[in-house]
Amino acid sequence: MGIVITVTSGKGGVGKSTTTANLAVGLANLGKKVVAIDFDIGLRNLDMILGLENRIVYDVVDVMEGRCNLAQALINDKKSKTLYFLPASQTKDKDILNKDKVKALIENLKESFDIVMIDSPAGIESGFEHSIFLADRALIVSTPDVSSVRDADRVIGIIDAKSEKATNGQEVEKHIIINRIKPEMVDAGNMLSVEDVLSILALPLIGIVPDDEDIITSTNTGSPIVNKDKSLSAEAYRNIARRILGEDVEFLDIRAKKGILATLKGIFK
Amino acid sequence: MSFLDSFFGRNKNSADVAKNRLKIMLAHERASCKLPYMDDLRNDLIAVIRKYTKVEDVKITSQTNQNLELLEVEVILGK
Repeated sequence: MGIVITVTSGKGGVGKSTTTANLAVGLANLGKKVVAIDFDIGLRNLDMILGLENRIVYDVVDVMEGRCNLAQALINDKKSKTLYFLPASQTKDKDILNKDKVKALIENLKESFDIVMIDSPAGIESGFEHSIFLADRALIVSTPDVSSVRDADRVIGIIDAKSEKATNGQEVEKHIIINRIKPEMVDAGNMLSVEDVLSILALPLIGIVPDDEDIITSTNTGSPIVNKDKSLSAEAYRNIARRILGEDVEFLDIRAKKGILATLKGIFK
Repeated sequence: MSFLDSFFGRNKNSADVAKNRLKIMLAHERASCKLPYMDDLRNDLIAVIRKYTKVEDVKITSQTNQNLELLEVEVILGK
């Protein structure tokens, strides 16, 4: 029986889909059988980040409405053989999901996968509610800026209220991922630090991902950065995947590498 | 903030400002929405009161004193 991990954030554009894609690939590369589902109905995105957009025939709504069977809709990644993907539907009716059908689908997937990763839509509307409903764990992605942290706080407050686990007296395991941190700006006192964000959100940290232009390139080409060898952000995603599986992995040192000149400039700024 | 900045008493750095603004904002928000059923309760109340009067709005606030949790319902009937 697999577990359900929902990636969420509240605010849009903080890197939910990128995080979902990289962690799904990372977990598959560690030998787990993973299915990544895009729950952002109407605004499909995860397919392009995973580089699977050309292979879509059916989507998650087709499965739930019985227009095809599950095996027909699942797309198997060519590189990471144990990774499967279920795309969001492009329908304009974003309220098309229905609780019972979502439940039936997820329960079904849990039978044959180790990990069901759900990419939640931004916002706290029905799409979010469906994606958190059956979650065993939630990964809350936040960038170190005021609007993102504020929305993350809101979302954390309603995760338990909207989850089935909580109605059974259990708790959804929640962790923070701090995304797009710029060490130079933190050092200069112009960006909230990891400690700042954690002290405000009061949840355990599972990963810090540095701001990295290579992520844009990897999204351009549809090849998740986690597969890249010499990259700090790829290392960060690989570490999060290992922590999800319970390994105790030390946090990366992402401090800015400063030369003498930069240090001097720092003093006289 | 670099050493010279603090020496000359220049402005606080922006990360500190962000942190303080967030803390104040969230303290306020957490206090005002800690009851998850607030919206539903409000809608139900409006529906019931509407049966008898023309209600414009219902304001619900929650307060906690030392050992008493208080739910204040204010029904605004209009003029």
